[in-house]
Amino acid sequence: MRGQVSKRTIFAFIGPAVFGLAIVGIAPLLYAGWTSLHFFNLIKLRQVKFIGLDNYWTVLTDEVFWQAMGRTFFLLCTALPLQLAFGLGIALVLHKPGLTILKTLARLSLVLPMATTYAVVGLLGQVMFNQKFGVVNQLLGGANINWIGDPTNAFVMIIFWDVWQWTPFVALVLLAGLTMVPGEVEEAARLETKSAWKVLRYVQLPFLLPGLVAVLILRTADTLKLFDMVFTLTRGGPGAATEFISLMIQRVGFRGFDQGLASAQAIILLIITIILAQIYIRVFYKEV
Amino acid sequence: MNTIRKLFGTAATASILATGALADGHGWSLSDAAAPYAGTTVDVVFLLRPGYDAIEAMLPAFEEETGITVNIIKHPYENALGEQVRDFVSDGDLDVALIDLVWMGNFAENEWVLPLADVQAKFPDAVDPDLDIDDFFPLVLNAFGGWNDTIYGLPVDNYSGLMFYNRCMLEEAGFDGPPATWAELKDVYGPALTGDGQYAFALQSKRNETQSADSFARMIWPFGGSFLDENFRSNLNSPESQAGLQFRQDLMQYMPDGIVAYDHAEVVNGFAQGDIAIITEWSAFYSGVVSPETSTVADCVEIAPEPMGPAGRKPALGGFSMAVASQADEAEQAAAYLFIQWATSKANAVEYVERGGVSARQSAYQDPTLAETFKYIPALVESWQDGVPEFRPRFAEWPEITEIVQEWGTKMMLGEVTTEEGAQEIGTRMEAVLETAGYYSGDKPLAQ
Repeated sequence: MRGQVSKRTIFAFIGPAVFGLAIVGIAPLLYAGWTSLHFFNLIKLRQVKFIGLDNYWTVLTDEVFWQAMGRTFFLLCTALPLQLAFGLGIALVLHKPGLTILKTLARLSLVLPMATTYAVVGLLGQVMFNQKFGVVNQLLGGANINWIGDPTNAFVMIIFWDVWQWTPFVALVLLAGLTMVPGEVEEAARLETKSAWKVLRYVQLPFLLPGLVAVLILRTADTLKLFDMVFTLTRGGPGAATEFISLMIQRVGFRGFDQGLASAQAIILLIITIILAQIYIRVFYKEV
Repeated sequence: MNTIRKLFGTAATASILATGALADGHGWSLSDAAAPYAGTTVDVVFLLRPGYDAIEAMLPAFEEETGITVNIIKHPYENALGEQVRDFVSDGDLDVALIDLVWMGNFAENEWVLPLADVQAKFPDAVDPDLDIDDFFPLVLNAFGGWNDTIYGLPVDNYSGLMFYNRCMLEEAGFDGPPATWAELKDVYGPALTGDGQYAFALQSKRNETQSADSFARMIWPFGGSFLDENFRSNLNSPESQAGLQFRQDLMQYMPDGIVAYDHAEVVNGFAQGDIAIITEWSAFYSGVVSPETSTVADCVEIAPEPMGPAGRKPALGGFSMAVASQADEAEQAAAYLFIQWATSKANAVEYVERGGVSARQSAYQDPTLAETFKYIPALVESWQDGVPEFRPRFAEWPEITEIVQEWGTKMMLGEVTTEEGAQEIGTRMEAVLETAGYYSGDKPLAQ
């Protein structure tokens, strides 16, 4: 039939992508699923055996797993609102007319924290927050704050770095949302009211919601898999103060070598992430 | 004792093999032995530590004489086990395994490394008649190279915990020598040396192997404690173990704040900058604290054996051995053996020490001039007489157990749990690991 694309052509275009995705994404996931149903310890490979859902039961009843999960969500609940607040503030400032060159420079500089490798951020943190010679204590008037060795301070430090690194991302996404607001609509609104809040709430916010949902989903997923920065900065310590869920999974899988248990933890984490993403989409998209 | 006797039986067998090679091989030379393997590349993991820099600096001579290329893959200590495990389970490229004394159970039980005697039997022409395996410190050979009465690896980069002290700070405070006991360190030296941003002592306690080996284990043994009793049940709630752990808590008042974030580097740097008067550290860090380039107190550094506790000295024991990988092909195995034999040889031991390494060869330390140059040698030799091979239990389950100790040991230090609660938690979890491994059902012998 004229205009109809043949199946061969469709396969030729989509096939490589599906094949690539299957190799790099689906196959490891299936393998993790298989591993999670076995006793599978890298240093006891002769003892590999099918154990059904034992690993899942172990994870679900493991107090340490839920403590790490709680810690991770606490980080999300503290860092994300800060990122949204600062990001929105920056976006609104950059959205104002005038000062074009400065705004361009600001937009460019916003990319720098995001472009910094996570592990490098952690190493920077080790130096900057060093109790004795770190620049942070110097800036605080020569304070003698023990950042890395104190559980509460270490957590605050992680929040600081996460906010520093990802606020620019939020700002850029929201700035993109603001540029979607039709100029004449925004102008008319400003003529109607002097309240910036009302303009934001009733005119700009509807255009920001898709970006906000994307930010929520991406930042939630990023926080749940936050690893490199924390590993190089505190290695989950002191004690377990900064042992987030990804660090715990890495510890079980690659330091304790229990790949079966770590796979079960990872799959449970994946399920939680998917559920959260679905909730975000249903709740916020309904608003839109 | 029986184990040690059997181990020396194996050592003697290896010596006989070596002697046999001598009988058959008058005029043995490294270049002749290596001739069939010229052009072979040996892949080996090294750590980012002075002892490995020393071998690397000496390596051109070996490569030139043998035609064997040694490909060094460097890792920080914390990554070394994981990287090697992944290589061995995937039948990778490593030809030499670098084995910490607590990893030997994994490598031997998984047959990732070959027994030394098997390698020597397989390649008799490669065996140096001067190998002289009895020249290694017996404790070190047993702890680092042996598993279940069989020698697998030859010791390299071996440490004993030593007490590094700043003589100038001690003299200024009115002391003419270091503390002899842990109690003296806490009760006498602690108050006198702490204040004005300076601390009497620092015990590296970061949440990694440092917490379990350098901090936790270091405190239980001198007080008569141990991880396990003779039935492989937790001994951490015994009065002796508790005394050691409580002592650590009490001693923290004379350590820098945030000591749970201090790894080797922080402690050694604090000592080298004159902020800390006394540290207990591995002999491997000696070269850094006596070098004027890295230490402001180089002229004040003195070394002594670790303080004694009620149960004696019981110093920390750490270090490595190198063994031939079973996954290597024949030529690589032979070349790997030649490299290990050369790197740990009696002939190279003095140069190795001079370049910053710590040799396990007894003969190296008989040279009095070497002991004058390297102040740690007398203390090291003394410590190796008193060391505990099971300072950290040497079985395949240690990687799981050390994670438990690291978590709860740190929580104890932070005051989040008491020493009793922490010990109880470690004990319960440790026994669960041992139960799963089959120690209590009789599936596995109670090693050590």
